[in-house]
Amino acid sequence: MDMAHLGVESSAIVAAFLASVVEVVEAFTIVLAVGTLSGWRPAWLGTFAALGVLGMLIIILGPLLGQVPIHYLQLFVGMLLLLFGMGWLRKAILRSAGIIPLHDEDLIFAKEKAGLEAETKARQSSKNWIAGLAAFKAVLLEGLEVVFIVIAVGSGHGMLWPAALGAAGACVAVLIIGVMVAKPLSTVPENTLKFCVGVMLSAFGVFWTGEGLGIEWPGADLILILFAAIFLAAGWATSQYLRKPALLAVR
Amino acid sequence: MKIIQKVLAELFSMFMADARMSLSTVALVIIMAGLLKFAALSALVAGGLLLVGCLVIVIEAAVRDTRKRVAARS
Repeated sequence: MDMAHLGVESSAIVAAFLASVVEVVEAFTIVLAVGTLSGWRPAWLGTFAALGVLGMLIIILGPLLGQVPIHYLQLFVGMLLLLFGMGWLRKAILRSAGIIPLHDEDLIFAKEKAGLEAETKARQSSKNWIAGLAAFKAVLLEGLEVVFIVIAVGSGHGMLWPAALGAAGACVAVLIIGVMVAKPLSTVPENTLKFCVGVMLSAFGVFWTGEGLGIEWPGADLILILFAAIFLAAGWATSQYLRKPALLAVR
Repeated sequence: MKIIQKVLAELFSMFMADARMSLSTVALVIIMAGLLKFAALSALVAGGLLLVGCLVIVIEAAVRDTRKRVAARS
């Protein structure tokens, strides 16, 4: 296996792992709130039902990817990655500059608990149903993003398995740490992760879009590292520049 | 039904959180494709322009959002 392929394979694993950690932590927070408040039965039922739906989606849609010509697939996936990655990068820049607040898992946990309490008080008879549905929604929505990331990062160069491995690693890591600490994983440096993921997805997006347009990048897959470095430098410089008006506004 | 609506809304917001940024990105890719096909632009120059264009779009979106939020606060 040559260095360039190894490089892009590890980039796919790392990108899928980091992006999935962010999504899995969000889903875990809500499942934890459901489990703590309404018991673990509805929490697990909702979680497994959502995982079942996600699994079916992968089984149905997965083989279709193989039917699409590679250039069209690269162009389509590249554009989706650009839209998704640049969206994350924009938000991460704004959070890093203090323009929008950081994601607070403790706050999300408290909000979800309060929301569930209010709903179950109103409809006591269907308490378990509401709790299970909350877990189902959270896992399905965040899981869809994980599935998209795996497909987007992995499908361009036949790296679905490395990307899926990265995502599975993230699920296992969050689950193990989450079960050990049994509280919202609020100490995860989420914005740093989102910054890195935004940078990596944007770099993959430029790379795949270019390949889809027929551009042969110099250095082949290794140019991804240069793209990531450029996006990182630009994002960091922008967040530094934006800190000034943010401070002025606070004062 | 509500869940399907929520899933669709989530999928939409994944790609269109900032509509102007998303549309600019799509427009950039279409322009690059057009330049490559009809203006016989060198592939490498098109690649460079694609990268620079994406950087400009994301920086502009962050600066525009900041200006809007700072103006709303004051």
